[in-house]
Amino acid sequence: MNTRGRDTRRLWRSLRAAKWPMLALLVLMVVAVVAAFGPWLAPFDPARQSIGSRLSEPMADVQGVTHWLGSDVLGRDVLSRLLYGARISLLVGLAAIAVGGVIGIVAGLLAGYFGGWVDDVTMRLADMQLAFPFILLAIMFLVVLGPGVGNLILVLGIGQWVTYARIVRAETLSLREKEFVEAARALGDSTGSILFRTILPNIVAPLTVIASFNVASVILTEASLSFLGLGVPPSVPTWGSMLAESRDTLLANKWWLAVFPGLAIMLTVLSFNILGDWLRDVLDPRLRDR
Amino acid sequence: MKLRYLVALAAGLAIVGVAAVMKMRPTGPRAASTIVVGLSADIATFEPANISSRDNMNIAHHIFASLFTLGADGTHVPNLARELAISDDGLAYTYTLREGLTCHDGEALTAEDVAYTFTRIANPANKFTGNAPGFVFSSIGFRRAEALDPGRVRITIARKNPIAFGLLTEISIHCKDSYEKMTLDQATTAPVGSGPYRLVSWTRGSEIVLEKTAASAAAYDRIVWRIIPEASTRAAELMAGNVDIIANVAPDQIAAINQSGVATVQSITSTRRMFVGFNQAEQFGQTPGGRAIRDPKVRRALQYAVDVPTICRQLLQVECQRATGLVNPVNANRALSPYPFEPATAERLLDEAGWPRVGGKMRFALTLQAGRGRYLNDVNVVQAIGQYLRDAGVDVTVELLEWASVFQPLLRTRTAGPLFFMGTGGGLWSPIYDMNDLARVESGTNYTNWSDARWFSRWDALTDAATPEDMRRLVDEMLQVFYDDGPWLHLYFQPDFYGVSSRVDWQARPDERVYAYDARPKG
Amino acid sequence: MGVLIAHRLLQSVVVVLGVTLISFIALHAGGDPTYLFVSERATAEEIALVRQALGFDRPLPVQYLSFVADLARGDFGTSLSYRQPAIDIVLGAFPATIELAVFAFVIAIALAIPLGVVAALNRGTAVDGSITILGLLGQSIPNFWMGIMMILFFGLHLRWFPISGHVPFLLPLLNGDLATAFGNLPRTIYFLVMPGVAVATYSLARNTRLVRSSMLEVLGQDYVRTARAKGLAEHVVVVHHALRNAWLPVVTMIGLEFGFLLGGVVVTETVFSYPGIGRLLFNAINQRDIPLVQAGVILLAANFILLNTVVDLVYARLDPRVTLARRR
Repeated sequence: MNTRGRDTRRLWRSLRAAKWPMLALLVLMVVAVVAAFGPWLAPFDPARQSIGSRLSEPMADVQGVTHWLGSDVLGRDVLSRLLYGARISLLVGLAAIAVGGVIGIVAGLLAGYFGGWVDDVTMRLADMQLAFPFILLAIMFLVVLGPGVGNLILVLGIGQWVTYARIVRAETLSLREKEFVEAARALGDSTGSILFRTILPNIVAPLTVIASFNVASVILTEASLSFLGLGVPPSVPTWGSMLAESRDTLLANKWWLAVFPGLAIMLTVLSFNILGDWLRDVLDPRLRDR
Repeated sequence: MKLRYLVALAAGLAIVGVAAVMKMRPTGPRAASTIVVGLSADIATFEPANISSRDNMNIAHHIFASLFTLGADGTHVPNLARELAISDDGLAYTYTLREGLTCHDGEALTAEDVAYTFTRIANPANKFTGNAPGFVFSSIGFRRAEALDPGRVRITIARKNPIAFGLLTEISIHCKDSYEKMTLDQATTAPVGSGPYRLVSWTRGSEIVLEKTAASAAAYDRIVWRIIPEASTRAAELMAGNVDIIANVAPDQIAAINQSGVATVQSITSTRRMFVGFNQAEQFGQTPGGRAIRDPKVRRALQYAVDVPTICRQLLQVECQRATGLVNPVNANRALSPYPFEPATAERLLDEAGWPRVGGKMRFALTLQAGRGRYLNDVNVVQAIGQYLRDAGVDVTVELLEWASVFQPLLRTRTAGPLFFMGTGGGLWSPIYDMNDLARVESGTNYTNWSDARWFSRWDALTDAATPEDMRRLVDEMLQVFYDDGPWLHLYFQPDFYGVSSRVDWQARPDERVYAYDARPKG
Repeated sequence: MGVLIAHRLLQSVVVVLGVTLISFIALHAGGDPTYLFVSERATAEEIALVRQALGFDRPLPVQYLSFVADLARGDFGTSLSYRQPAIDIVLGAFPATIELAVFAFVIAIALAIPLGVVAALNRGTAVDGSITILGLLGQSIPNFWMGIMMILFFGLHLRWFPISGHVPFLLPLLNGDLATAFGNLPRTIYFLVMPGVAVATYSLARNTRLVRSSMLEVLGQDYVRTARAKGLAEHVVVVHHALRNAWLPVVTMIGLEFGFLLGGVVVTETVFSYPGIGRLLFNAINQRDIPLVQAGVILLAANFILLNTVVDLVYARLDPRVTLARRR
């Protein structure tokens, strides 16, 4: 059953043929590199304040020091914060997806495979979570638990599980009766093995599509939470919190504080969306209603 | 469906839309007799005994009058009463009311109504939780209020208190009949007051509209208080000419507002004393950092480590009034001058106090806690302070906590720290009011758990001071102790920025009270 | 059908209770909220008295169960900050949010359909390209940022639209004051334009792409080719044959859409200082006004369930292949 090798090569070929998804992948690779090597690339310490040279324009020479993308309200270098911010924004995004994904996949597999009360309970829990705007739930937990990268990942992750659970459950339901699953059962495989080694690999395709869209939406949600004052602590740079912090100085035309993090967010999210689109078109057209 | 049709339809809709928008754009100035004030938070109630936020009290002060008021410079000004006589033992305050006073419903306002107001606040069955029964009554030790005759009312308090007269100006006076008839719920939304304005409407979350009473001498017929929580939206509304007065202007917006030509920013030093507290509580004494700040020598060293003038100039856009203690400059110890920024001195004093830098590393570690968004630019100020202390060798971690539900409880239980940033409101009318936060070691407002006997032992003498000169001498002695070995890292008195439209003539007050009844149209 | 509705009702009650339990846990997780309800300089005795008055001294399960018991009697409790019945305050703020959500919903659907159809019909051209790019961009902008940009540009710089505020339409309408309601309507819409666009952008972008891909799939089907081969006019093909079948995924979206829009409302209401339930609940959570939060959360959950039930019924009517019993 090694169609996977063939599939991957087909994927790669079609990717190279498509212009925009290729570009998107390139952008994301740049972001990943920046996230990984940010600390070595950054010209300044992102936490180093220098309130004497605050709000300096990009490329302006302030007392012999030039900030390429300007400096922020406390005189910290915008470029350095952007580079460090890549790391944290991506970390939060991917970790939240991981948390939500793990919970959602397990829940979906169990609900779809066993049905009955397991399914009922899971779906009721899902309903409860969907029944009111996620952002209120996030606010409630963050107000109480306090700001912090860990709490943020947890809350954002919990907001994601339902999406995965639903897809996994639907797929599990339809795969449950297929021959190869029957065969595995007949061979005496344990339930865990059936779930994770037999069914799950066949669901990876739609999950990848969902995940790429969700990373985009998690990054945007993190920005909104920072705007509401509930994201990471102010000293920790993320693109979302940099954008949120910029609003007090917009009236004074300090455009660089909003434009650069805004562009970073937009380009990254856009790339994830383009890539997700393409993945969906290639892997599973059934998912078009996402 | 042909693209052409769609484009034509879209163009048609666009034209209709633009025409509608043009028609609805406001043209020309607003009604000249209405003034619009922008608030940053909604108010909770119009029941005067439940009010505790400054915004709420500001609006209530238009609807309800008090016996006396405090002027912007701290003077005691007659209002509903024209005279106050304090007994020799300091326990009885007798107010003589003016004649012909009425409440908004026409009922005559006499001493009986004043006594009723006080008694109602103190009645435990009403379960009021505002500033009046909480802070004011417990500070003065309210005992009872009685009407001596229709024109005179006597308020009796538990102990002699040199600042009671100022605290009593916080009590909103209303009539008896109207409030006896109302349930507590009704009183929340349907106030019947005694002041220059009456409530017309309150659309929760949106706006509050007040209308001038016939008897009032105020200049504006209507005041509209609009609730605009987002700071940049508030400033934008001011610059667009839709709002006349806003408070809490962010320092970085000042230049833009001033350049707009539509409004200007008034900057006034408020009475609020900003400081970093060194918490002396037992629980913090376990770590090296906690032990360090129990040594007055270390605290004094750190006074030299923070560049307050630069923080003010850069982050608050103003040359702020430096603090030498907790008393407002007009009443402070004149002999004291603010600690200068001398990082070398700070380092030397820390070495001498027994906390050297070992191997070029940090001397000791401390956490600096603060709430966010409560004080002017607090988020940035606190981070800057953290940086300065780190430069002096103190490994400071800044923790920014949510104000109301996380930081405030810590303050209340006096467990914030070991370092914490905050500001408490003061007054201009007496140094003792400012010092009152540290009246006793167990005072709820002694957030730093300070217990220096040289300060606390002088309080009784202060209350019993025979002459103003004696009092002044004692105050100066206490302030010297506070300056040398006190539990505060002295910072500044918070500047307040108010955006005022150029069509309004209004002067901002240093005590954070916003009284629109003082405003008048310009020109 | 009756059994089904009863079953649904039971499910709904379970969901709503579950929602209140989650909120209860979330709001109490930070410990005793009494401190927010006493004045700044209260003494320890006063704090103890207030704690007792507000019922926070009881064990947590007792607090929750007593809340549920009150709820069964129709008593949603009293708001701790406003001292008024919580349900009244929540119902007072809800109409404004409904107006915003409906307006955004209309934009998100009404504009998405023609844009998506045009893009699908002109696939591969510059028109399609630009609509797709705008769609992707619309899904990539943080909505608070867009709101602030709009305020600065359209509100302050061009003075085309008001920067903040609200003119009520639904509330007077529900109170029977039709004259005020309809008199206000033009200004209500005028004040809704910017916040509505901010809320709708993400959905509009996504729906446009959804309609486009839906149409593309349908247009490739045999029956469409047959219709074209029969010589039917293009617009007949599109509307009568293609669009009718592309409806279904859109209907599915609608149920989730409203809930999703309500999510974007919190941030937008804060940026535009719009007096809706999003902002009300945000403040209530910050102030630990637990009865108010619970009342709001129940209202939103009930609203979501109601909408989904309606959508399910519509879905069942439109697509006879689906019956309600097999929806889950």
